[in-house]
Amino acid sequence: MNALDARGTTPGARFVDPHVLARISSLELLARVVVEGFINGLHRSPNLGASMDFAEHRAYMPGDDIRRIDWRLYARSDRYFIKEFEADTNANFSVLVDVSKSMSFSSRKDGMSKLDYARYIAACLIYFSSKQRDRVGFASFSEDIITYVPPSAKHLTVILHELDRMKVGVRGTLGPPLRKLSESFRRRSIICLISDLYEDPPSIVEAINQLRGKGNDIMVMHVLDPAEIEFPYDDPSNFQDLESDERIPVVPGQFSEKYRALIQQHIASLGKLFGESGVDYAVFDTSNPLDDALFRFLAKRQQLSRVR
Amino acid sequence: MSFLAPLFLAGLAALAVPIFVHLINRERKEITEFPSLMFVQRIPYRSVRRQKIRNWLLFAMRCLALTMLIAAFARPFIERRMALAGGGIDTSREVVVLLDRSYSMGYGDHWTRAIEAARSTIAGLGGNDRLTLVAFAETPTALNQRTADQGSLRASLDAVKLSSRGTRYAPALKLAARILDESGLARREVVLISDFQKVGWDGHEEVLLPPGASLTPVDLSESSASNVAVTTVELHRAMVAGRERVTVTARLTNTGEKAANNVSVALSLGEREVEKRSITIAPNNAGTMTFASVALPEGLTRGHVTAAADALPADNRFNFLLAPEQTLSVLIIEPSDARSAQSLYLSRALAIGENPVVRAVVRRSSALSFGDLAGRSLVVLNDAPFPGGDMGGRIRTFVEQGGGLLVILGQNSTPSSFTGVGADLLPGPVGTIVDRGTDRAASLASLEYAHPIFELFSGPRSGDFSAARFYRYRPLQLSGAAGVIARYDDGAPAVIEKPLGAGKVIVMTSTADLFWNTLAVQPVFLPFLHQTVRYASSYTDLRPWHTAGQVLEVRKAAERLAGAGSGPAPAPSSRETGSYVVESPSGEALRPTAADDGHLIELDEQGFYELRRVGAATGASRAVAVNLDVAESNLSRIDPQELVAAVTPKTGNVPSAGTGEPPTPEEQEGRQTLWWYLLAGAALLLGAETILSNRLSRAAR
Repeated sequence: MNALDARGTTPGARFVDPHVLARISSLELLARVVVEGFINGLHRSPNLGASMDFAEHRAYMPGDDIRRIDWRLYARSDRYFIKEFEADTNANFSVLVDVSKSMSFSSRKDGMSKLDYARYIAACLIYFSSKQRDRVGFASFSEDIITYVPPSAKHLTVILHELDRMKVGVRGTLGPPLRKLSESFRRRSIICLISDLYEDPPSIVEAINQLRGKGNDIMVMHVLDPAEIEFPYDDPSNFQDLESDERIPVVPGQFSEKYRALIQQHIASLGKLFGESGVDYAVFDTSNPLDDALFRFLAKRQQLSRVR
Repeated sequence: MSFLAPLFLAGLAALAVPIFVHLINRERKEITEFPSLMFVQRIPYRSVRRQKIRNWLLFAMRCLALTMLIAAFARPFIERRMALAGGGIDTSREVVVLLDRSYSMGYGDHWTRAIEAARSTIAGLGGNDRLTLVAFAETPTALNQRTADQGSLRASLDAVKLSSRGTRYAPALKLAARILDESGLARREVVLISDFQKVGWDGHEEVLLPPGASLTPVDLSESSASNVAVTTVELHRAMVAGRERVTVTARLTNTGEKAANNVSVALSLGEREVEKRSITIAPNNAGTMTFASVALPEGLTRGHVTAAADALPADNRFNFLLAPEQTLSVLIIEPSDARSAQSLYLSRALAIGENPVVRAVVRRSSALSFGDLAGRSLVVLNDAPFPGGDMGGRIRTFVEQGGGLLVILGQNSTPSSFTGVGADLLPGPVGTIVDRGTDRAASLASLEYAHPIFELFSGPRSGDFSAARFYRYRPLQLSGAAGVIARYDDGAPAVIEKPLGAGKVIVMTSTADLFWNTLAVQPVFLPFLHQTVRYASSYTDLRPWHTAGQVLEVRKAAERLAGAGSGPAPAPSSRETGSYVVESPSGEALRPTAADDGHLIELDEQGFYELRRVGAATGASRAVAVNLDVAESNLSRIDPQELVAAVTPKTGNVPSAGTGEPPTPEEQEGRQTLWWYLLAGAALLLGAETILSNRLSRAAR
């Protein structure tokens, strides 16, 4: 029997390398491969979070779904009653993907860009959530909202199509698009933001806090390429900013150590601020498998499964 | 600052030489793309660039020395606006008078008092003062260049008339700030003559007068102003005994602190007063008045609801146009061997609704005649082959002249169905049937919500197209100027638009009944079909009235009015050409501004604008009703001092007063000695540069 790894999943639940997944052209197939593989590895019910425990009866009101009438009770009492269940109407789940130009970065020529990684995470989460009978929604943004699909139980194919079409935009910022999006979430939702978060931590947290109204639960997935964390450059060269095209000549050496310290400080600062705000935050390295993202999603989903 | 010998400044071009040399000799390096330099910028680094900065310093010193030398030769001197000399004080003033001419200034004697206040400001001008008269409502207009000529200022003032627009203070104050900013006079003042309505200032405009400028409000408002206004009317239509009748309901507001008792309100149609009733409206309240229904006269009828005159009579009248019910005529062509009920869903869906009413006629392709096409706005080919011969040619001409063609592909729409004149009607050749019934049925996955057909569904919960299942469709290989406005989940086009001449061809690649899909039984089918028909036939609503300040497309309005008088929406053949002349309510003849898509005119006055084609008979005029913006009827006021505080700089850096007399020769000479300093500075810089470059050279060795 395999031992559990640090996250509590079995080693068999870890998936094939993202670069192998990249060869699967159909997003739906990819999502199915990842999600169902994950569930098998976890040995848990795929209906996790969708409890069907009976809660109570209430009188039928015009407009109620007649399929939910308890006909046996009707036979006994000659009156219409509706059966209500714990969490039988599932939550809204929306994925917001940052498609600013910096997300197109990949340190390896044949490697997966941050945007592709975000695309796969989003596809898996949406697929998984849809299987849970959640209403799924999606938005992509850079300096403004580019695509918005409102949450619906029927939008899986629409979202997968939009994810497939998703392209990098221009210079990105979090504040204005998230402010607009916050006006769109009218019901309590689980919102998953996937971005590389290249802004000052206080302004990032301020932007994301706009989404927290109406009791929304926020997950922030910070996607980074290994080169952005390790800075494995040796030769002096001009570094060019993908979004602003600004160039700075850099001689690596001690510079690399300082850079690594700064990015770790940035991540730690974000972790602290998000922790204080009650936002779930995690960093994802694009060279790692996707199950980490799913595991975190499941944990959050489980916390909310008892909501009626 | 100015220069006595500005030609020497051409020598500055010499600065470009070392920069150019630097640029072409700059070290080239490999470029590494990185997502963000946010952290890279924070690290102090040792790189080639830093060494360059040391050279740049030297380079900057040389450039600066050269610039100072050139500037010294150009002999700079200082223009002083205000300088103390001889003990005299410069009292010359730059005055901007902002005169509010919004229609609320017609209240009582406000306008007369405003003109008097402007006159007294003009009369108070000194010999060295300059005044600019600016009349404003929503936008400001400077009536003259800054002048001290009181005669021309009074003439400009006499020509100002009340407008039909609302009040906006910010644009007028910005214009005043610009005029004052450009002025060289010692004192700068703005005189604002207005009734200080709250609607004209929301407190968020970023307007600031230049330092030292003052704003003097002339407040004409009254603390207990009361005003009754007719704000809108609603027109309810009903067919009674085969005749269309209309019920007019007017909404009135009372923005005063006292009740408006027994206000007489009259409905007039044409030139005749139809009914007169009275209403009592509580203070700061609104009321409605419904008149008895009247039979709708033939053609276009002008109407107005008028409340009894009060202190502000302009907003007591509301104009509107009455037109017979609008209809769109649609011809649906079925194949000769059509399925039973093939056009059932189409015709039933089109029969529902009003504004416009759609009258659809279904014909088999074998039974088509030329007369069937007369007066149509849209032709629908419901899985029918494109008619051959003269009929096909007529349909093509119909579309090219601005008509609409909706092509619904299905079982019978084979590639051979579109030949001859119909060969290039579609955006591309029709392919063989794609059958999605065996696996999972197709759905509409991508809609262009910015397109007029789908704009209606763009909001959240505004219609769900993904519920429709498409078991079969015909693919199109697109070519040329076609736009895909909806796609299936596999990316194949579902709805395509192609322009043809002045008209449009819309293609749906699956049927409009339940034969190939379930769209026809979805809730979105009816609004989708209505939007498609309206868009394909280029239908636009006939607006019963416009609001002053809106821009009118004269050609389109004239076309709609031409059709409105006779019932159905204008067929393509009735679309008009030529230029127009528009007569404003005050009788002024206006020539519309030519634009890409017709002729535009700004509706500035309350009343009825007459639209007339140049060269047409007198009786061929059409009218457009224009009403005031009712927001202006609310006479609530702001405290003028609040406005003054918002636009006047907090720490006023008031320039000191100076002489108005010409400077003495000594003073002139004193103002031109700047070149000495420049020469001395250049010499010092060159000395420092020599020392620095010697040290750098030694260090390099």
